[in-house]
Amino acid sequence: MNQSVVLSEDIADQIHRVLSELRARTQAECVLLADISGQLVESLGSSEEIDPVLVAALAAGELAAIAELARQIGERRASGSLLHEGKNRSIYIASVSDTFVLVVIFSTASPVGLVRLFVRRAAELLHPLASQFEEAIRRSNATLGTDFGTALAGELDEAFGGM
Amino acid sequence: MFINWRLRELNLKIVYYGPALGGKTTNLQYIHSKTDPRIRSEMVSLKTRGDRTLYFDFLQLELGRVAGLKPRFNLYTVPGQTYYTSTRKLVLQGVDGIVFVADSQAHRLEENRESFWEMRRNLRELGYDPESMPLVLQCNKRDLPNILSVSTIHEHLGLNGVPCLESIAIRGVGVFETLKTIINLVVAKAQQQL
Repeated sequence: MNQSVVLSEDIADQIHRVLSELRARTQAECVLLADISGQLVESLGSSEEIDPVLVAALAAGELAAIAELARQIGERRASGSLLHEGKNRSIYIASVSDTFVLVVIFSTASPVGLVRLFVRRAAELLHPLASQFEEAIRRSNATLGTDFGTALAGELDEAFGGM
Repeated sequence: MFINWRLRELNLKIVYYGPALGGKTTNLQYIHSKTDPRIRSEMVSLKTRGDRTLYFDFLQLELGRVAGLKPRFNLYTVPGQTYYTSTRKLVLQGVDGIVFVADSQAHRLEENRESFWEMRRNLRELGYDPESMPLVLQCNKRDLPNILSVSTIHEHLGLNGVPCLESIAIRGVGVFETLKTIINLVVAKAQQQL
């Protein structure tokens, strides 16, 4: 929980494949993956109406709240999924290994049971990727050079300049 | 912190914490109103009917490429009312840096202190070391009468070496300076970690 997550290109590609498959199978409008703090990892099929950044932040908050509710009533583990059935679009949110939040936004024409089934399968495929994260951090040769801080300060002045 | 090397994105989470009605939401509203829509998301506010924060406010800022990476800052507020203790802890999950928005009025000192110590407790319970968490103290409402000096607030919170800025968030005074300060601290820490 208290760690940085560095997503290598290899893991990112695998996530992309799982999400593409999930989207195709469920005919979802949008599928996205966020980390448990609500930061967007990957999204497919966003439209002008759907902002995946906001969906990621809200879905992670929802899942955290339901997990805490479960704890309050003495459940050791929350079921880790939520469904909102709308008039035109529904949204299904599922937790993956306490690391990721998987979200599927689909038309009400798609059967909910089918979405649940394929989300479960996708979660199984994502599960080993979640556990690879820590290893990925150790292997990562990622660096933020000292020039990054200086360049960022310049960018901030430009973005917020004169305010 | 979340880095996606495929998309060359660096995501950082900054939480505005502090007592009720201290100005946390006002900070985000001002940032939202003054930034170019091309570099920010819509602002989401989960509020009660009485217009008080129920869960959190959220706003994302995305800067252009910096040294080959695209930095994104996810700004959150917590609900300030005492009642929502458990919710505040949830919002802190995955936090990279904190702006503590203190209410400078003398009669709010105890509430500032309670909120500050609760924040430290929540951080520890989530597995973070409060001492090494990037933190900025923002002393807000400097335009009101009966305010305490910044050094008094600083001292009462037991802070040592934490950057402290004065603000009048409702007029935007000190809002962007605070944001820049916390971003610089968070990025400096990220540089150490990577």
